[in-house]
Amino acid sequence: MVLSRFWYVLLGLFLGLSVFLLSIATSMYNRAGARAMGEALSSDSQVVAWYLRDDARQRSGRLIQFGVDPDIAKYLQKSTDSEAKVPDEARDKLLAALKKVNNTIPRDEQFDAVFAVDQAGRVVAHLGYEQASGLSDFELGGYPVVADALRGYVRDDTLILDRIYRVVARPVEYDMGSLPAGAIIGARIVDDRFARELSSRTGAAIAFYANGDRASSGAPEGFAVGNLDQIVGDMASLEQDPEYKDKGRSKVRTIGGMLGVQYSRLPGEAWQLGGGFAVARLPVSVDGLFGFFKTADDKDKQQAKLPVAILVAVIAAAIGIVFSVFEHTRPIAIFKNEAHRLAKGETDQLQPSRFRGVFRKIASDLNDGMDQVLAKGGGPRRGPADMKQVLGNIPDQPQMSAFSFPGDPSSMPQPSSGQAAPRSVPQAPGNPKLPRPPVRPGSPGVSLDTTLSSEDSSVARRLPTPPSRGDGAAAELAEWHAVFQDFVSLKQQCGENTDGFSYEKFEQTLKKKNEELLTRHGAKRVKFSVYVKEGKAALKASPIMD
Amino acid sequence: MFLVAGLVALPSSADAARIKGRFEGFRALQNPVWAEAKDPKNHGYSFREPVPTVRAEFRRPFPHIPKELCIAAIAAGPQKAQPPVLIRVGGGRTTPVTLVVTPGTRLTFQNTDPFKHKLYGVGIKTFAAGDTGPGATRDWSVPGAGVFEIRDEAAPSLRMWIVSEPNVAQAAYPSMKGEFSLNIQEPGDYVLQAYFAGKKVGPATPVTVAAADVELKGPIKVNDSSAAADAKASDSESKEGAK
Repeated sequence: MVLSRFWYVLLGLFLGLSVFLLSIATSMYNRAGARAMGEALSSDSQVVAWYLRDDARQRSGRLIQFGVDPDIAKYLQKSTDSEAKVPDEARDKLLAALKKVNNTIPRDEQFDAVFAVDQAGRVVAHLGYEQASGLSDFELGGYPVVADALRGYVRDDTLILDRIYRVVARPVEYDMGSLPAGAIIGARIVDDRFARELSSRTGAAIAFYANGDRASSGAPEGFAVGNLDQIVGDMASLEQDPEYKDKGRSKVRTIGGMLGVQYSRLPGEAWQLGGGFAVARLPVSVDGLFGFFKTADDKDKQQAKLPVAILVAVIAAAIGIVFSVFEHTRPIAIFKNEAHRLAKGETDQLQPSRFRGVFRKIASDLNDGMDQVLAKGGGPRRGPADMKQVLGNIPDQPQMSAFSFPGDPSSMPQPSSGQAAPRSVPQAPGNPKLPRPPVRPGSPGVSLDTTLSSEDSSVARRLPTPPSRGDGAAAELAEWHAVFQDFVSLKQQCGENTDGFSYEKFEQTLKKKNEELLTRHGAKRVKFSVYVKEGKAALKASPIMD
Repeated sequence: MFLVAGLVALPSSADAARIKGRFEGFRALQNPVWAEAKDPKNHGYSFREPVPTVRAEFRRPFPHIPKELCIAAIAAGPQKAQPPVLIRVGGGRTTPVTLVVTPGTRLTFQNTDPFKHKLYGVGIKTFAAGDTGPGATRDWSVPGAGVFEIRDEAAPSLRMWIVSEPNVAQAAYPSMKGEFSLNIQEPGDYVLQAYFAGKKVGPATPVTVAAADVELKGPIKVNDSSAAADAKASDSESKEGAK
């Protein structure tokens, strides 16, 4: 079982390592996702800023169409020349001219509002800014973007009036040798439409804010716009961000443990008024060890090395199965077969050399146990009771009897005394060198000695091998020879003198005793075994009834 | 040419004499708000480029003098408080931008924009920030002599200066060409002083007013050396930008 256990330990370590690696991978993935989100947010922020600037530049080019219109230049100059009051004619003509030019601009590039401003800063005419309708003294000249345009600059700005406006302005010239006649100002309202358009072109979820509140927002598909409402609560601490305060762009902030946000100030007056935009992203992360399954898409699954994983699993399972078969199933099967053979009587004992590991020890112990039982004359028979054995033919003397060999002063053993236990040939401590009895070819002892290991043979040699029934006199003689050898060995071990002790004498005594017992008990045969009694070798005769 | 005569209620009578004059060099003055706004460090824009067809001399943040350059006639002694003055708030500035009045004069700020303003006096406890809705007005009396600055929390470009001078008898604003005319009620000796962005600019010009109108012999030059240097720098910047 060593290999199997090693394999289990290895699998356990591998499983633990897998969990550990998966935990690390989850952490690394989430960290990488957060880092990627931060980089993506910075990129989004830059892209939005570039888009705003580029959009303003492109739209300032559209203002040229207004600037070169002769009516616009002419009537702006008329208004400029009239310091006291804007002439009504100029208002009407300019409004018509604004509408005419505006209609020539593609719809998606049109401004939400267009203003024509004279050199005094007064709004002579305007389109799309209905809030100022009816205000005769409506002007814009104080805003730097308008003042710059009136002095020959084209530029952009972000104004926070009633709403957020992205504004571009450029001068309108009537007489090249004098101050510009006025300026034309185009404005785009930074509303949800603007934010959605921006989001669709940049791919970023974006929200514009002013005065501590979200003004507009837009997000690509898959991103809930409602997430952007969370920035309102976060903006309270935004001014404490030194990078936002100094550079106009915050660090990547995480709201609610999930939403990554980066804030940027809008260029223009909005910069000073706390107006800006926030780009937001949700982090790509996995929840727990098995979150990868939910996060992975079909492409990920296609790229996963599934065959390798299956191969590893199959190999691991195969190795485990081989080990368990080799160390568990096969030994048990062998043991089962051997036990089955033993049960069927095809063999008299289990052969420990056929087993491995603990099974060898079990077999050896079983053999020892059987030997003990046989040495006691056999244990109680299992199965149906033999009435004859139970009730009838009960001998006068106990079946078990023992005797001392002639010339031996020791008395016969008393089976009931229990002082002397029959035993097989005792193991000499220290493995003393004993004279080996002559080996008889064909004897069971010889057979065992040549087929078993040294350990097993020592066990086997202690076991008297009873002749099978019907072996006749030859078998009986062979058994007696074995008993003689055991007896001589035992005597030597007990320190008795064996000089002059011959097999012939021993055989005569056995014959006599054999006949006596057969006659007395009507037994079929008598089994002899040796044992030690009071420090001396003794022989015991047991009549066998069946 | 009294542009703000309808806005600033100045005393006048049929017997009043006029002082007529002309400013020179006012294009060398710099509107401080616009001068700050053009500085890239203030992040006022993402791009700002000169239009080459506009002459460089015009590409400066010179003020809109009909609102920003004030000429005041300073009498020898204190004058009585002037009537309330209406100040329009709209278009990213006030009209006028610089005002010269006697202490105690009540000012009425009227929002002419379609959205609210939040005016406040810089360091003035009696003029805390407060909303003024579209069309609404807000009154404030000049507490004493000195220079007071008004700003708007909703519009950084809006900055107004109120010069409170006890001896001011009359104030007026020039036309875009720099011409001005002051109505003087009482004959006597006066000093003409121009104010821009809350500060005196140009020389103090003594004038004696009798029954007849007075025509100043020469223009009042309001460009000082620093302003001229800035103007030159602005010119060269504009030329480089045009290239």
